[in-house]
Amino acid sequence: MKKLLSILTLSLGVTFAANAAVVVIGNPSASDMSASEAKKAFLGKGNSSIVVYELDEGNAIRTEFHNTVTGKSDAQLKAFWSKQVFTGKGNPPATVATAAAMKAAVAGNPNAIGYIDEADVDGSVKVILKP
Amino acid sequence: MNFNLKALPIAISIALLPSAVLADESTEAKVAKLEQQVQSLQAQQTKSLADKFNFNGFISGAYISADNNAGYNGATTSADFSQDSKIGFQGTFNISNNTQAVLQLMMKGENDWDVEAEWAYLSHRFDNGIKIRGGKLRVPLFMYSDYLDVGYAQPFARPPGEVYDQVPFSSYTGVDLAYDFEFDDSTLTVQAFGGESDVEVESDTSSDTNLDLSNLMGINASWTDLTWTFRAVYGETVLDGTASGLGVDDEKATFNGLGGSYDNGSFLAVAEWTTVDIEGLLADTESAYLTLGYRISSFTPYVTAAYVKTTDNDVRGAIPLPELAAQLSAALNEERTAYSVGLRWDAIDNVALKFDVTYLTDFGDTTGGMSPNLLPLLMTGENMYDDSMVYTVKFDAVF
Repeated sequence: MKKLLSILTLSLGVTFAANAAVVVIGNPSASDMSASEAKKAFLGKGNSSIVVYELDEGNAIRTEFHNTVTGKSDAQLKAFWSKQVFTGKGNPPATVATAAAMKAAVAGNPNAIGYIDEADVDGSVKVILKP
Repeated sequence: MNFNLKALPIAISIALLPSAVLADESTEAKVAKLEQQVQSLQAQQTKSLADKFNFNGFISGAYISADNNAGYNGATTSADFSQDSKIGFQGTFNISNNTQAVLQLMMKGENDWDVEAEWAYLSHRFDNGIKIRGGKLRVPLFMYSDYLDVGYAQPFARPPGEVYDQVPFSSYTGVDLAYDFEFDDSTLTVQAFGGESDVEVESDTSSDTNLDLSNLMGINASWTDLTWTFRAVYGETVLDGTASGLGVDDEKATFNGLGGSYDNGSFLAVAEWTTVDIEGLLADTESAYLTLGYRISSFTPYVTAAYVKTTDNDVRGAIPLPELAAQLSAALNEERTAYSVGLRWDAIDNVALKFDVTYLTDFGDTTGGMSPNLLPLLMTGENMYDDSMVYTVKFDAVF
């Protein structure tokens, strides 16, 4: 039992460490964001002036981000957006292919937010949330 | 973002200038960065064009059969491929940032694939946040009303008929107003609606139904923190025409509903409780369901329990003509419980496969809503079918 527990703790620890690598970024002028604000923003609710960028579907960072922030798997996220689209409530955010493109998009618009691996952060953007 | 493409080269050369002068950062890195920015600007420009018009669609194909010919949801011992099969196309035109036109066209197997507009409206969001829509809209009585036909966005093979079949129309022509109250962690949406609709049901076994629904109006409130959702709704309308062989003369119908759901990403629970009350002899009903599901990677097994019962059997029983009382009681009294076990499998991108077995039972001394039971019940007091097992295999896709 003890062994099982320690394996469990270990694997939880590993998952946690992996999750901690994704950060929400904003324009250098942006202020910090709470986890619930981020969840709302990436599900199209709340402040409508925020411009959200996602990484392309299938990107591991995207999967990890949603796992942490919105709690939705790839398929659940698709089901969620199909509900929004077919009820006229909104469309999924624009997507970019790479961390570099994400930084460029966020750096170019004071209202934009996105997410990247913490290791890719540079001076062009600001980390506004470490989920 | 209105960025003029013609200005791009100038912007690039201006932007490039300092990088050529400054030698402390490698020119290559700067160029790479600028290329990214240009790409991003171009992407934004293309996006703003694509933003003007969105085209989406959904499709469902279903195989349904049953262990007998009770006829629940059109299911019999021979396979049916049209009852729950449908295809929908939606075009969204963004007229301005706050104004859009939405058209959703549906073709359903159960309606011989006739093209119908389920959504056809113009919407506008005022600066104060109030959103108004006018045109053909979905009647927002149930939790899944707004996306009743988009199976991909639902956990189960179909919303439980015990609840969802009690209102025989799903859209109306009119206006609605909605406002989102934003809290720190949650959103409360209040929606008021008003308009008119009609019900036309051609029946092989009993009389056709032809009703005008006027003064249709209601209000609903829905609160969600994106894990929990709670919803309350009230609606009313005035019925006029004929239904189940009865003349209906300006009878008022009211609808009450409560709903709730919980979804933490792996565990899923949905429940709804609704009542329909109609003046006169048409049936009043009370119905509810509870669905529980659990996601294991791409598989979501679920169970549902649902019931419906008529709550005004005494009204029909009290008709002074015994023969008419018996006939109307047999035709309109209803009692049924349904148990479902199912599985949603997110097999590939944008496609979910669903498997469902639903067992219908506990009809009491009613037909259980199964029309083949009507004559035997009237003649002998016994149903032809006391229960039914319905099998569904379905795919739901979005594109």
